Parts: sequence; C-alpha cells; structure tokens
Amino acid sequence: MSPYESVIADWLHRCNRCGTCKYIFRDYGPSCPSGEQYRFESYFASGRISIARALTTGEIDWQESLLKPTFACTECGACQIQCMAPHREHIVEMIEELRSLVVDKLGPLPPHRAIAESISRKHNPYEATHHNREIVQQLNLPDKADTVLFLGCTSNYKETSVRDATLSVLKKAGINFTVVDEYCCGSPLLRTGQRAFARQAAEHNLEAFEKAGAERVITSCAGCYRTLSKDYKKLGFDLDIDLLHSVQLVNELLTEKKLKVTQQGSIGRVTYHDPCHLGRHMGVYEEPRQMLGVLPVEFVEMHPNEKNAWCCGAGGGVKSSFPELAQATAAIRLGHARAVNADILVSACPFCKRNLSDANQGQVAKVLDIVELVDLAT
Amino acid sequence: MSLKQKLISIVGEQYVSDGLAEKYVYSFDMTENPPKRPAMVVMPESVQQLQQIVRIANKDRVPLVPFVTGQNIGGLTIPQVDDAVTVDLKRMNKIVEVDDEAMYAVVEPGVTFGHLRKYLDEHNPSLTYTYPLAPPYTSVLANALLQGLCDLSTMRGAMGDFINGLEAILPTGEIVRAGSAIMGDGNWFGRYPLPDLVGLFSGWQGMSGFVTKIAVQLWPKKQFTRHAALFTFGEVPTTELLKRIARAQLIDDADCMSLSIVKMLLGVSPPVQVYGGEPDYGTLLTLSGNIEKEADAKYELIETFVEDARKNESRQLLVDWDAISRMLGDQAKSWVDFPSDAFKVLTEYDGLTWVGTYIHPKHWGEALSGGRKIVEKYGFELMAYLKPMNSMHFGEFKFIIRFPKDDATVEKVRHCNEELLDFALSLKALPYKTPVWAAKKLQQNADPGFVELLKRIRKTLDPNGIMNPGRWGL
Repeated sequence: MSPYESVIADWLHRCNRCGTCKYIFRDYGPSCPSGEQYRFESYFASGRISIARALTTGEIDWQESLLKPTFACTECGACQIQCMAPHREHIVEMIEELRSLVVDKLGPLPPHRAIAESISRKHNPYEATHHNREIVQQLNLPDKADTVLFLGCTSNYKETSVRDATLSVLKKAGINFTVVDEYCCGSPLLRTGQRAFARQAAEHNLEAFEKAGAERVITSCAGCYRTLSKDYKKLGFDLDIDLLHSVQLVNELLTEKKLKVTQQGSIGRVTYHDPCHLGRHMGVYEEPRQMLGVLPVEFVEMHPNEKNAWCCGAGGGVKSSFPELAQATAAIRLGHARAVNADILVSACPFCKRNLSDANQGQVAKVLDIVELVDLAT
Repeated sequence: MSLKQKLISIVGEQYVSDGLAEKYVYSFDMTENPPKRPAMVVMPESVQQLQQIVRIANKDRVPLVPFVTGQNIGGLTIPQVDDAVTVDLKRMNKIVEVDDEAMYAVVEPGVTFGHLRKYLDEHNPSLTYTYPLAPPYTSVLANALLQGLCDLSTMRGAMGDFINGLEAILPTGEIVRAGSAIMGDGNWFGRYPLPDLVGLFSGWQGMSGFVTKIAVQLWPKKQFTRHAALFTFGEVPTTELLKRIARAQLIDDADCMSLSIVKMLLGVSPPVQVYGGEPDYGTLLTLSGNIEKEADAKYELIETFVEDARKNESRQLLVDWDAISRMLGDQAKSWVDFPSDAFKVLTEYDGLTWVGTYIHPKHWGEALSGGRKIVEKYGFELMAYLKPMNSMHFGEFKFIIRFPKDDATVEKVRHCNEELLDFALSLKALPYKTPVWAAKKLQQNADPGFVELLKRIRKTLDPNGIMNPGRWGL
C-alpha cells in the first residue's frame, strides 16, 4: 500500500488560477522558471494543478502530450511562496503526486527511467562505480561514529571538490565522523514520480546509519538534506537522528571558533544562491549568510534572494530531461550574480553548483560551493 | 500546409500547441461558465506576428479567441465554437511609453497591473494608475477594454473611461488606430475631438479585432491620502449615505462590501457568518488632498454626513483608518496601497463568480436588498460588493460567490446567478464583463435596434466572423 495519501484529492477544489504564483508578491518579478520558459498556462503551477484535477476527475485521459507540462518543472517551490490560497503549502506535493500518477500510467521519461535503473544497479544516478568504502579506507575513518557524513551522489561522483572540501573541513574541525555505505537518498526518484524505488534506498540508508551508531547525519547536498529530513518521514520512517546540512554545522564551528579563518586578504566579491531544497523547502537562509559574514569575502546579496530566490534550474529531473530549461534558468540566475558584479557565485548544493557551472559563460569568474570557500579560508 | 504548420511558421514551434494539457487548461476559467476546448493555442510576440495570424485565420475562416490571463470572471476567454484557436497574448508585454506630462501609459496586452505598478514606482513615481479588486497579474488592457472598475472609479468612472486611444488589428488584418495617436507616436493624449472609434473595441469582448496597444490615463499621486472605514446597517440607508458622500466629490473611491468580506480580510475561515447586531456593510473610503488640510477638511465633511445619517440609523459608524490598522495589521496597509492584494480572500475555492452590474442610482438600494435575499435563499455566503461610480452618476453592485466546482454546486451557482441577473435586469441594470448566458438575457430586454446595430457593425468589421464568435450571444 502506498504510504502517501492523495494530496490532490485533499485540495481538489482549491486553485482558481488567480495567477499569484507566477510572480514574486509585491516585487512583480517572475517566480516560475518553467512558466517563464514555456509561457503556456499549463506550465505554471496553476496549470499543473488543473491537469492533476482533470486526471483525477476523469475530465481528461492519459496522453503522451501531458508529459512535458507535467515534468518540465524544477519543483523549486517558488509558487508555494507566492500563492495565497489555502492549498499553498502543498503545491509541490501535488506536482509530485501528479508525476507519480503519470509514471504509473504512461511510464517515466526515458532519462528518468535511466536514472532509476542506474540507482537500482549502482546505487547512484550517474552510472558511476559505487565506492563509498574507499573513502573510509583512504581517510582511515572509523567503522562507527556519532556523526555520519552523507556524501550524496552528485558530490561523490560529479562535484567531487564539494565532497573533498566537506571532508577536509570536518577533519580540520576535529569532528569524529565516518562515511557509511550510502545509496542514493532517493531524491531523483521521488522528484520524477518513481516513488516505488525510493523506499528501498531509504531502508538501506537508515540501516547503514544505525549500523554506524549515528546520532547525527550531516550532508552538503541540499537535495539529500530535504529528502532525509522530509521525505523519509513521509515514506513512513521514524528517524531518531539529528539531520543537519553542512552549513548548519560549519556555521556553528565558525561561530565557536572550532574552525579558524586563516586566509589573509579577501577571496573576492561573493554572492550567495539559495538552493531551493535548502531555502524554500527547509527554511535555511541565515546560516550561509552568517558564514559569509565571517569569511574573508566581500559579500553582496543578489536579487531575488532567500524565499524568493530564482531557481538554479537543475532540480525536479529537469537537468536530465529538459536541458534547455535547465540552461535558460541557470543563465538567468547567473545574470542576477553579474548584476551585482560578483566574482564568485556560491551555493550550498552540489547540484546547483553543477548546473550553474555548466551554464556559466563568463557571467562570474567562479561557481563554488560554500563549503569549498570555507575550506579555502580555514 | 496545415493550420498548425502555418502558425509554427509565424511564431516558432515552441509557441504553438495542440497538446491535451494546453487544450484543457485554456478550456475553462474560474467561473461556472461551461468549458469548451480550443483546437490549439498560439502565442505571438509582436504585432507583426499577430497580424499574420489574423490574416491566415481570416483567409481560412478560423475562429480566434483572445486570451491574456483569463481572469475576467465572465468566461470571456472560453471558446464558444468548435475548432477555435486561442491566441494567448502574454508575450506581448511591453510598456511602450509613459508620458509624464500628459499623464498616460501605452501598454501592450500582456502588461499586468503588477508590472505597471512596479514600472511607475521606479520610473514615474509621481503618477499612479488605478488598480482593481483583481489578482495583481491581470491585464491592464483587457480590464480597460472590458470597462471594469478600480480604485478611482468612485471619482472617475469605469476603466473604459480612462482609455485615450488604441491600436488594433482588424479581423481582416489591417492595423488601425483610434484617438489622438492617429497623428503619430508620442501623442496619445486623448480621444476627442474625433469620431470616438475606441467604442468599436471597448466593451466588445474581442469580437471586433485584437487591440495591440492601449493608452490609459494616469493620475498624479496626491501628497496626502486618508482612509476611513464606514460601518453601516441596511441596504437603503447604506446606499443613501454613499450617494451623498460620492455626489459631494469628497472621495477618490469607496469599496463597500458585506461584513462577511471584511471578516474574510480579517482571516475568518469559511463559511463566514454574520451575526445579529453586526453591521451589514463595511466601506473603505479613500480621500486625498494636495495639502493635509484639504484631506482633513474632506474627512470632516464626511463626518458631518455620517452624523446626519445617524439621525435615522444611530448605529452608522465612521472609523479612522488608524483604528482599522491596529485590527488588521499589515493587511490594512497592503489593501489600501494595492487593492489587488485583497483578492486573496477570493481564492478559497477553485470556483469564483459574480453577477456584476452598473445601475441607475435610484435602483441601487433596492437591487442590493433584493439580491441579498436571493443569495441567502441559495445558502451562499453573503458577499455583496458595491461602489458609487463616476461621482454617483451610476452605481455598481455585484454578488460574489466563491465555491467548489463540483457538479452540484456549479448547478446551484448557475441558478442563483440567473435569478440575480433576472432581478437586476428587471431594474434595468446592465451586466458587465457579460458572460454569454447573461448577454442573451440582456438582449431579450434591450432595445432591438441596439442588437441589430451590434450585428451590423460586427458584419462590417468581421465579414467572416472569425473574432471570438458567439460572444455577446451574437
């Protein structure tokens, strides 16, 4: 039986397509990357809710042409921030349920199917050889520790500098931690409507945490952080473990001087991109800013930011299936950084770093993860 | 070449769709009006692209339905005939010009109230446009052409009166202008002295062509603005007091609403009830002056009018906005600053509708009390909204219904709205943003010569009947 109750059914008769979700409230700048890219009403949150309702009530039948409007959305959650209707907190959940229904009837998009197959075979979405245990040996990490670092697939297999910087910072701070035999957290599966496989991944990871004696789990990936914190609970797992994003821990370490800034002189003019899964989805806005206040950088805010931040364009299965949307969305964000003359665009998510780096055509000199900046400065 | 291929050749593949999602999403709006799917949706970016689309449609006899954001509360973007192409104009979203001296803005269809507001705040801070009780992202052009009301209507009338001129593509493909800009760009100061051809497009619900640019009047922001809340009992005493205040031209605007709407703004959950002893109506009064004394003097005069009214109904009460702000908090500020913010109280369900009319002042109170009985009979929340218009040359009233769009409720809403309209028409009121069903009822009551003239003009402008056929029941 599915652990999910139907959020579409719960909010079936709510959205009247007032359009408030399309733009930042009182700023009137665009908020929806998908709607801005494709422009049809069906590509805004209200359009997707309409499609979900119509499929539920049988007003429309299952057709391949529904796939693009259903999946060409980063699930950034900006619509939820702007919406003022009673269902506002559930829009992303409704879109995820819609995707799940579509996958059940029409199957996943081919790139999403490939991700699921890779996770099934190799425990990561990148067809990379599963190798967490090598890190344990290389760094001589213990088998058991109170603190587990959950590396996350993007950090471990693609943006390895984020992984290495996180490991380095934890070592410098003298944290007793280990790395477990982690599988993909399941985020790419949940975001692309392939819920069935996500449960297996969660079961494995929780068992691994337990085996390691973990009392807290740290991750540098915003997507993993959201999934472990929110989605595992929705899958019915009761986590008796503290979950932290690395910015929360590192900010504390910097504040308590357990990590000392050693860098002399400014690293550069830095602006911060709020990852959707860390900011809007989990409400973490302050810690990275406090860190940038301590680090030797000239910090400047770009706009829009915090809860209204423009998405990097990578999430929700978009980077694999709709590269044009991922690219265009990232280009807009890079433009925001350029508008404040930032040299370095930092984020707190390896997937944001990856997509923004891929799209960077000189708008900024560098795209870094904030933990890399910390590693440089300490 | 198929129609789809022809449209793709004009706007590109990305902006033409005959997918099920698009056909469905463009087939309905928030009202109870019956849905109908277009054959496809096309999104031009420029006047030239739109002109090419119209020429093809005219040649191939393809019905076209204009769309910008679809929030007109009248089912006005729902196709009425088979095989229609919905033309979504939101990509045509340029603010072409703002003239600070002659106080007008020229905008394309996709420009919304939110965007115009932002632009004026940044570039022309001494000017303001008028803002309706509508979502912030409704089209300025569509609202003006549909002759809606706004937060300067009590002083200056319906938004259709603010149109200085326009540019349009006729159903046969020619581009024409009306108003002073026939003399060239940078000259959109007014409609007179000329044959008033704006009237060929204003109020026509897109049946006479695509309006591609509209010049709307802006207004100087007054230095001092005051707000007050008026709580009143009884339909006739309420309208009589509002008439007196509006006729004296003391106020820029009056938003009068059932107390239930006031409670919604205060955050009361549905269904909102009103209890015995509570006032029937709350009115937001906005008044302004170039100096503080001017605004204060206006307020003092309103106080005397309310005092007079208390001789007949001692419970009528004028409350300064400071007291309201203490109750409502930030909401009070945002409501008076940008009335579109208050629309959120109308987003409770997927359904929203109203029968709204403009009416002779002598029937205003009677319309309100009669309409109230009808709404109460059907058991909907009482959400009357009324506004003195154009210094009380006429009145506006509507009964808003927010409702879940299940079949049974939709049917009940249809019956209630029909009854409301029948009653309004019996008082010679005119429905605005008129849905087709209401237009048909209007025609049964209207001078037949008017209907014939409409048909003749339409035939002249659109010999092949491609522009939004079926609208106005024609």
